[in-house]
Amino acid sequence: MICGDTMDFDLPSQDDSRRLAVRAWFAAHPTPSGQDWLDSGYTVPHWPKPWGLEADAEFQLIIDEEIGHAGLMRPAIANPVAINNCAQSLLSHGTPAQQERYLKPALALKELWCMLFSEPSGGSDLGSLRTTARKEGDNYIINGQKMWTSLADKAQIGVLVARTDPQAPKHQGLSQFLIEMDTPGITVRPIIDMSGYENEYNEVFFDDVVIPANQMLGKEGEGFGLSMLQLQTERVALSKPGAIWGAGPSAREMLDGLADMGALDDPVVRDEAAKIYIEGEILRLLSYRSLSDRMNAVTPGPEGAIRKMVSAPHGQDIMNLAKRTQGPEGLLVGSQPFDNKTDAHLGPFDNWDYAFWFSPAVTLGVGTQEVLKNVVAERMLGLPRDLDPSAKKPWSESH
Amino acid sequence: MNFALSDDDILLRNVAQDFVDKESDLAPLLVPGANIENAGYAATWTKIKSLGWPSLVLPEAYGGAGLGCVELSVIVMELGRTLLPSPFAGHTFGTWALLHGGSREQKDRLLPAAATGATTLALVPPIDGNTLTVENGMLSGQHNFVIDAADANYFVVAARDVKSDWGFYLVDARDSGLKIEVQPWRDITRQVCKIGFDNVAVEFMPEPAGNIWRLLLSHISLFLAAENTGGMRQVLSESVAYANQRVAFGRVIGSFQAIKHPLAEMMAKVESANTAVLYAAWALANNDERASLAASMAKSFSSDAYVDATHRSIQIFGAIGFTWEMSNHLYYKRARANATLFGDPRAHRDLVIREATQRIWPNSSTVGSLSRVA
Repeated sequence: MICGDTMDFDLPSQDDSRRLAVRAWFAAHPTPSGQDWLDSGYTVPHWPKPWGLEADAEFQLIIDEEIGHAGLMRPAIANPVAINNCAQSLLSHGTPAQQERYLKPALALKELWCMLFSEPSGGSDLGSLRTTARKEGDNYIINGQKMWTSLADKAQIGVLVARTDPQAPKHQGLSQFLIEMDTPGITVRPIIDMSGYENEYNEVFFDDVVIPANQMLGKEGEGFGLSMLQLQTERVALSKPGAIWGAGPSAREMLDGLADMGALDDPVVRDEAAKIYIEGEILRLLSYRSLSDRMNAVTPGPEGAIRKMVSAPHGQDIMNLAKRTQGPEGLLVGSQPFDNKTDAHLGPFDNWDYAFWFSPAVTLGVGTQEVLKNVVAERMLGLPRDLDPSAKKPWSESH
Repeated sequence: MNFALSDDDILLRNVAQDFVDKESDLAPLLVPGANIENAGYAATWTKIKSLGWPSLVLPEAYGGAGLGCVELSVIVMELGRTLLPSPFAGHTFGTWALLHGGSREQKDRLLPAAATGATTLALVPPIDGNTLTVENGMLSGQHNFVIDAADANYFVVAARDVKSDWGFYLVDARDSGLKIEVQPWRDITRQVCKIGFDNVAVEFMPEPAGNIWRLLLSHISLFLAAENTGGMRQVLSESVAYANQRVAFGRVIGSFQAIKHPLAEMMAKVESANTAVLYAAWALANNDERASLAASMAKSFSSDAYVDATHRSIQIFGAIGFTWEMSNHLYYKRARANATLFGDPRAHRDLVIREATQRIWPNSSTVGSLSRVA
């Protein structure tokens, strides 16, 4: 029986000509230099030329898979803030000088970026941030503290959101800046999280840090909107629903591991594993649906926001079941439930033990799970917005 | 790769939508004491026949439309959304069984009339309490849960031959050895019957039951999963509408996170189930090797999700949602019935593990394997 004349769940085949070309390039460049990455366009294939290849969604998927196949770290994992979140804003809001200065080193994976958004006073409620940027002549003077900043200790470039107008309502008085992390007055201190592994997060202090006004990204007051846009930017890595924000092992690796060790003979484990596996397969399908929507130039449906909401607890469930199979052994520092079977062993979250002890964070970072549910309920279902008594008043009145 | 419905599918969905919205009237069932007799089965079936839907799943050679599982799912989601009562489900299951299990002659004889709906079929499946045996060509025993049996003209019956194994048999409903009673089934939008067979003559169907049962179960699972998804979509939209309108403590209740968060989760389940159903439909239509896995994923996921959603909707409506005069309970009962029949979620998850790992697990029983059914 033939049906579904245009619907087609087949992914690009192994002998797809585009795939063969990408594979040949990686065979010729087994350890690509920064310039190689830049010339290939493979770091941001969906971008316009000369940066990217104007790749459609399917071609992006092929490139993503082939980078994994070549055993290389995906650019979106190597320089996540630039590639997943912020660099694209320079195309739409950056000056030519900013594009010239910042984009090439970022896409060549030479300069790491970090995102200076959350603060001790709040992360999910980004609009309440307190760090100030005071205009003085051709400069802004930055004072305040950022927190939960991934990569701040390694990054050369930071994307900062700070308050330029304390008299405006909280969401309207913010602006963004591109800053060099070695600017005098910036102090970075690692935060040691509960996993005990090398720090993922940092706190960053600003004491009278002087930033030239021409390093403002976009216009004054556009900071909140830009930040929201950057946080919502879809991950380029599409090939698997890894447990930790798309990175690390997926439910398929979990099932393989459980099967190998015979854990699926236990009917309780078997049933729980099946639930997690099915959810993982559905998340995969939802990713492909987003991809397919983009290919068809359809306005993305609700699956993007929904996918984020489902995938965070899903990742925790994967890690929880895998860890439990170890019994007391699982409480030993560094102990792995099973051998890693992922195609690229290069991301830190491919370490099962780290991923497990890190996993409580995935329902906190990039907006807590509660905030995500509010977003889905309010924006997709049209339910009333939560009250924020401070939203309309000048920020300075409540602080 | 393209996950979107084709323009033709969308057109079909719009036709189905218009039809079910026009025909569906649950009011007679929302009178306390109502039962399946009040569901308007026969009248709706006449209209469904005139739309040609009984022919959808059949190849053109038998007078069918030659369409397949994606198109069927699109329609079934609409039927599930409104719970539109009719024997379409039972007839479709019987038709699939004959199509996959019958001889050329049997198919030539019965399927053209099945395509128009002039002859109605039903399936007596090898699960859910089948005690049927065949000895010397005569069938005896009973099945307590046969969907849409009361007005069927022919049954495709799964039974164990005392000398060999499971087989499918064709039975003429006019045989005097048949005793059919409509069950007091909780889901009053669906007719479920008890059939007793007392020395009934059968026609043997040549395809070994073990060869086709998994395929048949996959198709039926897809059908029920599509109903579940359509039903959940309706439950979500009614719950959201109510939460936006009902006021308590000076605010609409939809402004409380205790209400809006479960609704956000429900929406995620609806979109997830929808994707799982379309994937399974595509896989079955294309004989993809993962089709049975996909169908079991869709059945188990959508069943649990539908049961949760219908329970939650009663809670969101508050006590009024617990009354017979509201439709909440009709969806709740359909959800529970669909989850129970043809393998419960856990049984399908067992199949998922079995097929995902490609291993045989000696200690597990499964609805997909006929030798373990009875």
